[in-house]
Amino acid sequence: MVDETPIDDTKTRISEYSRRCADSFTRETRMEEPTKESEPRITTDSLSMSYGEFKALEDITVQVPRRSITAIIGPSGCGKSSLLRCFNRMNDLVEGCRVTGEVKLDGEDIYAPGYDVIQLRRTVGMVFQRPNPFPKTVYDNVAYGPRLSGVKDKERLNRVVEESLKKAALWEEVKGKLKGSAMNLSGGQQQRLCIARVLAVEPEVILLDEPCSALDPVATQRVEDLLAELKERYTMVIVTHNMQQAARVSDFTAFVMIENQGEPGKVVEFGDTNHMFTNPVDERTERYITGRFG
Amino acid sequence: MEGRKEFHEQLDDLYLELLRMANATLEVLERTKVAFRDGDIETAGRIIEGDDEIDQYVTRIDEGGMELLARQAPVAIDLRTIVVIMRMSQELERAADNCVNICKAIVNIRRYTLSPWIKENMDEMFRWAIKIMAKAIDAFKERDPDMVEKLVRMDDTVDRINREFLTTYDRESENETELVVRVVMTARFLERVADHAVNIGEEVYYMVTGEFAD
Repeated sequence: MVDETPIDDTKTRISEYSRRCADSFTRETRMEEPTKESEPRITTDSLSMSYGEFKALEDITVQVPRRSITAIIGPSGCGKSSLLRCFNRMNDLVEGCRVTGEVKLDGEDIYAPGYDVIQLRRTVGMVFQRPNPFPKTVYDNVAYGPRLSGVKDKERLNRVVEESLKKAALWEEVKGKLKGSAMNLSGGQQQRLCIARVLAVEPEVILLDEPCSALDPVATQRVEDLLAELKERYTMVIVTHNMQQAARVSDFTAFVMIENQGEPGKVVEFGDTNHMFTNPVDERTERYITGRFG
Repeated sequence: MEGRKEFHEQLDDLYLELLRMANATLEVLERTKVAFRDGDIETAGRIIEGDDEIDQYVTRIDEGGMELLARQAPVAIDLRTIVVIMRMSQELERAADNCVNICKAIVNIRRYTLSPWIKENMDEMFRWAIKIMAKAIDAFKERDPDMVEKLVRMDDTVDRINREFLTTYDRESENETELVVRVVMTARFLERVADHAVNIGEEVYYMVTGEFAD
């Protein structure tokens, strides 16, 4: 399907929002640079990552296309989540973590000295394995990010909360209990609330680390449907243990594996999901996805 | 670590069921050849009645394949193998149906004496049809994607003999309209058997390579 949403719309929307925020300077500069729809949103070149002496990832070179869902699959401990966390520098928070090689967002090296990491995490949002709403009201959860960015106007906040909850396909279920505790929502609703919380700060990329692993099949289906809707606007990368979920929701798939215990994870194959699940190129991918190892 | 052991055992069972069906189909072809040559209407009748057995293979393979698709969510080579086994069972069933049609023709032309020309050419046609089907089944057993090219060339020979029935034979036997029609139809049925064998070769090519044969 041809994506007809013009990139300029997104840029304008993001720019407008940025202007409303107190600290919008880096984004303003970046958004003025032309970006082509066909160019990848995220690229890595010879990316390696270590936790102290342990090398978790080695020589990762991938290109994540924009307005699509890219799945990262692979056996437990292969470095899937570590790779995902490189995309918004979440690994910076882990002591002893060292990254070499390049990770670029829209052509800009996010590990370059002086890169605004706070802005990066706003641009590249993250949803985690277990729903982790703040112990606050539904409204305050979604309004948290915009408030932190300096939005004080109540009407504007109301609008952002409503729009974000609508985009996260949660509005109809919670519009009558916005002032109720988020902790009273079901697991699936809490996870969509977390997605709404990410959307409220107008990200461009959403990283999802096994977002459905704690959800029942119905809630999982709701989240998967939501991802399909969101990909018209956002670039998404999802780590999943569930290969069928990768096959169902993603446009592109990266298969990461370690050859032997203690060795770093490497991308064995990266490509079109249809092709990977019907006719993978690498024999190791085939053995993994058909359950012949791992 | 070996995973999904039970699934792969079930897939092996489905594979073996198709091989049993393929052997049964080849046997039907052989028996039809002898029945035609000898004008043996009793054997022809038994082949017609026995077609249910071939149909039951299709049902079992369909059920087994559907169950694996629904319950095991197969991908890659496993997915292609299951889909190809299900499609191949259809090709074999249609090849067997052509034998049934030939057997009905054997019953219908029992009062005629077949000329040496008919016997010789039809025997050759049968031999080629059986040979090409056996090769196609070998391609599946050996997972040989390149066999399809050989099958296409063999099919050309079957097509040539079939054309001879249309061009040479009808002038010889113009007074025996029913015989002409039945014999020409029999040649046509065998030509279809060869076509099904080529289709099987193409399925094997897809199963092994993941690409569709040209």
